[in-house]
Amino acid sequence: MNVKMLARLTLVGLFACVLSLFSQAQNKTVSGKVTDAKDGSPLAGASVVVKGSKTGSQTGADGSFKISIPASATTLVVSSVGFGSQNVDIQGKTSVDVSLAATSDNIGEVVVIGYGTARKKDLTGAITSVKAKDFNQGPITTPDQLIQGKVAGLQVINNSGQPGSPTTIRIRGNSSVRSGNSPLFVIDGIPLDGRNARPGLNANGIGQTPDANPLYFYNPNDIASMDVLKDASATAIYGSRGANGVIMITTKKGSVGAPKIDFSANIGQNTVRKKYKVLNAAEYKAALSSYALTSGNDGSDVDAQDAIFRKGFIQNYNLGIGGGNENGKYRFSLGYSDQNGVILKSNLKKYNIGMNGQYKFLESKRLSLDFNLLAAHNTDIGVPVTNDAGFQGNLVGMALQWNPTRALYKSTGALNVVPGESVVNPLAMSAGYDDVADITNIFATVGLGYKLTNNLDYKFNISLNTQTGVRKATEAPYITIPGVEGRGFGFYANAELNSQVLQHTLNYNKQLTSALNMTAMLGYEYQKFSYKGSGMSAQDFTNQGDVSFTSIMQNSSAASRSIYSWNDPSSELQSYFGRIGFNYEDKYLLTATFRADGSSKFGANNKYGYFPSAAFAWNIHNEGFMKGNNTFSSLKLRASYGVTGNSSFPAGSAQSQYTFGQQSIALANVANPDLKWESTKQFDLGLDFELASGVLYGSVDYFNRNTTNILFNFDAIQPAPATKYWVNLPGNVKNNGVEVSLGAAIIKKKDLQWNAQFNIAFLSNKLENYTGPAVLTGSISGQGLSGASVQRLTSGQPLNAFYMKEFMGLDQTGNSTFRDNGNTLYYIGNPNPKQLFGLSTDLTYKKWSFVANFNGAAGHDIYNNTLNALIPIGNLGSRNVASSLIGGGVKESLANPITTSTRYLEKGDYLKLANLSASYNVGTLGALKNVRVFLTATNLFIITKYSGFDPEVNTDKNIGGVPSLGIEYTPYPAVKGFNFGFNFNL
Amino acid sequence: MKHIQKSAIALMLTVGVGFVSCTKLEEKLNSSLTADQAQSILLKSTDVSVLLQACYDGLQGFQSQDVATSLQENSSDESLVPTRGGDWDDNGVWRVIHAHTWNADHAQVGGVFNNLLGVVFNTTNVLNFSPSASQAAEARFIRAFAMYTVLDLYGQVPFREAGENLLNAPKVLKGAEAATFIISELNAIKAVLPNGPSAGGPAFKANKDAADVLLMKMYLNKGAYGNRAAPTFDAADMNAAITIARSLSTKYTISANVWDNYAPSNDVIGKENIFTNQNIGGSRGGNLRAAWYKTNHYNMNKSGWNGFTTLAAVYDKFEATDTRLGVNYPDPAGVLPNPKGVNTTGFLVGQQYDLKTGAALQDRKGAPLAFTRAVALQESGNNLEVTGIRYWRYVVDNKDGNDGQPDNDYVFFRYSDVVLMEAEAILRGGTAQGGVTALSLVNSLRAKRGATAATSVTLKNADQNSPDAGGVITILNERQREFHWDGWRRQDQIRFGTFLAANALKPVTDAKYLLYPIPNGALAVNPNLTQNPGY
Repeated sequence: MNVKMLARLTLVGLFACVLSLFSQAQNKTVSGKVTDAKDGSPLAGASVVVKGSKTGSQTGADGSFKISIPASATTLVVSSVGFGSQNVDIQGKTSVDVSLAATSDNIGEVVVIGYGTARKKDLTGAITSVKAKDFNQGPITTPDQLIQGKVAGLQVINNSGQPGSPTTIRIRGNSSVRSGNSPLFVIDGIPLDGRNARPGLNANGIGQTPDANPLYFYNPNDIASMDVLKDASATAIYGSRGANGVIMITTKKGSVGAPKIDFSANIGQNTVRKKYKVLNAAEYKAALSSYALTSGNDGSDVDAQDAIFRKGFIQNYNLGIGGGNENGKYRFSLGYSDQNGVILKSNLKKYNIGMNGQYKFLESKRLSLDFNLLAAHNTDIGVPVTNDAGFQGNLVGMALQWNPTRALYKSTGALNVVPGESVVNPLAMSAGYDDVADITNIFATVGLGYKLTNNLDYKFNISLNTQTGVRKATEAPYITIPGVEGRGFGFYANAELNSQVLQHTLNYNKQLTSALNMTAMLGYEYQKFSYKGSGMSAQDFTNQGDVSFTSIMQNSSAASRSIYSWNDPSSELQSYFGRIGFNYEDKYLLTATFRADGSSKFGANNKYGYFPSAAFAWNIHNEGFMKGNNTFSSLKLRASYGVTGNSSFPAGSAQSQYTFGQQSIALANVANPDLKWESTKQFDLGLDFELASGVLYGSVDYFNRNTTNILFNFDAIQPAPATKYWVNLPGNVKNNGVEVSLGAAIIKKKDLQWNAQFNIAFLSNKLENYTGPAVLTGSISGQGLSGASVQRLTSGQPLNAFYMKEFMGLDQTGNSTFRDNGNTLYYIGNPNPKQLFGLSTDLTYKKWSFVANFNGAAGHDIYNNTLNALIPIGNLGSRNVASSLIGGGVKESLANPITTSTRYLEKGDYLKLANLSASYNVGTLGALKNVRVFLTATNLFIITKYSGFDPEVNTDKNIGGVPSLGIEYTPYPAVKGFNFGFNFNL
Repeated sequence: MKHIQKSAIALMLTVGVGFVSCTKLEEKLNSSLTADQAQSILLKSTDVSVLLQACYDGLQGFQSQDVATSLQENSSDESLVPTRGGDWDDNGVWRVIHAHTWNADHAQVGGVFNNLLGVVFNTTNVLNFSPSASQAAEARFIRAFAMYTVLDLYGQVPFREAGENLLNAPKVLKGAEAATFIISELNAIKAVLPNGPSAGGPAFKANKDAADVLLMKMYLNKGAYGNRAAPTFDAADMNAAITIARSLSTKYTISANVWDNYAPSNDVIGKENIFTNQNIGGSRGGNLRAAWYKTNHYNMNKSGWNGFTTLAAVYDKFEATDTRLGVNYPDPAGVLPNPKGVNTTGFLVGQQYDLKTGAALQDRKGAPLAFTRAVALQESGNNLEVTGIRYWRYVVDNKDGNDGQPDNDYVFFRYSDVVLMEAEAILRGGTAQGGVTALSLVNSLRAKRGATAATSVTLKNADQNSPDAGGVITILNERQREFHWDGWRRQDQIRFGTFLAANALKPVTDAKYLLYPIPNGALAVNPNLTQNPGY
């Protein structure tokens, strides 16, 4: 496509522009430093402009600036976002130091909104902006982890402790009964696809490996801010993709001034936060004799968890070069991160390159050109820790089950592997399993802008995102899993994910009268997504030596080979949108947005969806009657209402598809030409305030979301070519809640500052008016649990309500008893937290500063599938059992069946100290400026009653694509650790 | 300068507008065909065999342990899946099938309904693509077979004509009405179908002889489909079945070794097989390995899932000389020498031996791996791994590379079924033809199987669980000996009126269990379906 070509050419051209900016002519030089009047800390990014001209510069990270100005200039205007502006006399001076007073910490800041930016004080919607300085600390792998616990109503669950593990992200709860509850991510104005090109793997005998995080290509160190769009006023501009909220990621840009290098490095180490409590050798022997079992004691003493877990070394290096002048700015960055997981072999390496520039052309500076390139290569070494293995096949499960009296190694030093045995030595599994994925992500955007009049701006953006992934996996024939043992397994696959975005926007801003300001935006956007790949697998290699099976697939037996390729239906989205805003005397703000989304995915009868919103805000503190009120420096009431959509169903669902099997073709789906987006109506009422003293500020929001036309993969009307088809069903998913964010500047002294931010959300979620049969999800894996599930979607219950037998304890024979003898199943738990909370605090004393970030959730349940299935009492005599099963009042019978019940349903409430960081500002060290050293500890402690690895868990246990929530099944365990690092500027 | 700016604007607008190029939002499927494309491609090549293949593949569900065959066998008196401590609880799905306490939410009940009606859809869809007369007949035969199974299990069959809108609820054929439709379909296509194995055609394709066998099944069960609690047998139906059997008797003989029909190469050596589902070793087919995985203990070779057992009462119905009890069938792959010379087909009772080394096997706790006669629906105690008699219906395919994909074709119809159906039809009031009697037919079979000749033949014993005695052979027991774990037992028991009776592990059960319920999901989307009585 010629679009790609154009992008490439433009990038080459722009790179040349960057280089040309390094040298500039000058006639008089003034330098100096800008500091915060409050504490003397340097102010980065402050603007320094010659009064009455456009000549200017910005301060660097250390607050210093150097500006070349006409010799005639007499006054500089120094200002910074959130601070006042100050005129500085420079007559006869070559150096000035300026200290600026904060106007109001949080009201003046600029936040990113859909297709533009706005001053926070002009906002009518519910948007929470998190800047880099407030991000979580420590070894962060993916951008979503930066804001965990930072935003009221935003839930971020690290699904597991694997480097690059996906997160479960929910803004204001679950609204969809289908997958696609994740918010839309937008990087520098470009909406992302949301998928990942790491090929899926279902290796013989081990089940499905978890997906990778779709954001793990982006370098957290390149991110300047993340803005979370929550209410319809903010999200409706994203139409059919906006219903789950939107997270806007803004990358770091260069600032005006001489080229500057910033460098940071850190190293650290992770360990498993908590081992699962299973019997040790002595306890095991005692249990054997207490049960009068004669076999099962092999005489050794091993801890298989210790054998597969390790200390994971982590290192991270980031280099940034940025600079610019009044004609343009650029930033170039390099990142390298190497993260060893806490399970043997597991590793994620990331290589990142970022390059962006913003340039102005022509004498009038009306023409602008921006480019942004983010390239990444990840090498992801996986381990056999899968979502749905039976009693064999999951490395963590193998370690938990390993008989602690049984040696892992024979006396010869070889691994203790008995051919044909159903118990698998975890070390043999680890040694015999290799899984390497190499994924490259290129994200490139070019923007052209032209200021048509003083009030009217035109902007054109084109963006390409290409991801290619290659994955190779092998299983050695000595792994004693049926189907693998004696045969081995090789797998080689690739996937390719492409998206294109074109945007045209017109922005209009006019002061209509002295009291009334109008802003307007009109836009067109075209997005195209495609996803394809291929793969092969084979077995029975004659080579048993050092050559990887994936290098010699032809060595396999012909009968064992399997090949496939796929190319998902591509989807196109064509949108027209607009926004209009009025501001009357800074008292009354009105915003209305509208978007029309046409999608190739939608059925022929519903090609276009329409998504309006309106919002009103009242700046009460600007009213006459508030004059003389010294309590509030800001008091704003907001109300908004709007409609957004969710269209995350697979492309191709609206029309008939004849698919190709082995020498066969069959109609594979029930086409639904009426298929359309799921529609969410949201009302939001909010109050923002700040006390005049600046000591306390915050927001309170009430929201009510009502989702209709629920997208469902529902029972087809038989006879039909498929068992399910995509349909919009009547019914409502209702989410409502209250979010409170509070910030306090508790101590504000020159040498000592202490700030704290707290947020909490109270959420409620329910499915209503749904008349179909209950939909099962939350599949439970393991021996004796085939086909078992514990969650249901049904009217009157929260989504993913737990549904199971109620455990009433063990009877005298040691067998489980259940209410109503287990004949009745009950709605008996809820995986959706009722409260989410986060607490951040930072303390600065002279050159020391300390930051702590807590997060937590409460009011929900977690199902412990690990305990249920893998380490039951019946294992005694051959495999290990959970410690909690031994030593109770009643001795549990070895024959007590494994079944799902509330016995394994646990409270998920937790509060964790996600990270604690101490840093020391060394200052200038020779040529190095702003040298800072820091030490961060992650997951230092957690308060929870949950007995599994970690209450922050979400193993994917979907059934037929209906997502599960709040189930743990032998996940990659959560980690804790510390890291040490430093950064400086040049 | 001014005009430079203007040209810049012009350039940008040109570039920009060029990219607008409003799309019509037509969806490209990339790796599948739209209905129109499929129509034109398939019509151009006038070859719908690819569509037909998908219909045959749709029958592969029968091979798995947890679908149609589970509903037909585990609910009967000859198969169950006991919960063994940690294993096979599976939220009780297996126990409720054997104990007759299932409901309309049961996963197997829902899965089988969807699977079979998917076959009904795919076969009907073939008719939209101008197939040849013979291909159309094949599709309609597979459809008739799937509809007959739905009728047998659920008593109601939703049916769409070719080309109907899939978003509309289709009509539903019920009971005798559905039986009549299936019979008329079979009669309509019989002459056009490909030749059966008797005339050189493969058993794994729909064929004339298979249509004959299915017609016999329909005639014999028609009365039960009209009234399951008290089936009646119309003499005309019985005579029609007998006439068909006579014609087939000239084309087939009973094999000397019954197990050849279940061997990996049964597509070649299984001379009794009339209709099968094709498997190609290591290459394509269904989940036939479940036939041994579902019953084998973990420590046997092959290793298995240690689940399914039969009942001692069934085992006791065999004479010691009956080859259907099991034989030492030499491993066709030559992998397992079986030095101990134990049986490698049929029933597995008592101590088990490693077929490679001859060593006595142990269970996972180190106790002897000796299968017991006694079994309970919910096992407890230290021997829970070894309870229950196991059964190998198929000769295990031990060939390297065939573990996941054995070569044995799955058997639907076998000639011995024709023989026993003919005998039964005579006993149910049909008129014998061609000089045979029920007794002579049964004895012709028993002679081949190494069983003593009967002195007389009746339909069933007063106590269905008791063995035949005193030379009086019952058709119901003989069918069990001949078709153990073949998927016919529930149907036979319903026809003979013993399905609800008590057996060792279940009491007498309510008449509603003669039919499976319509799955709740299906009921919710098709108002023409009505829930079966009692559910």
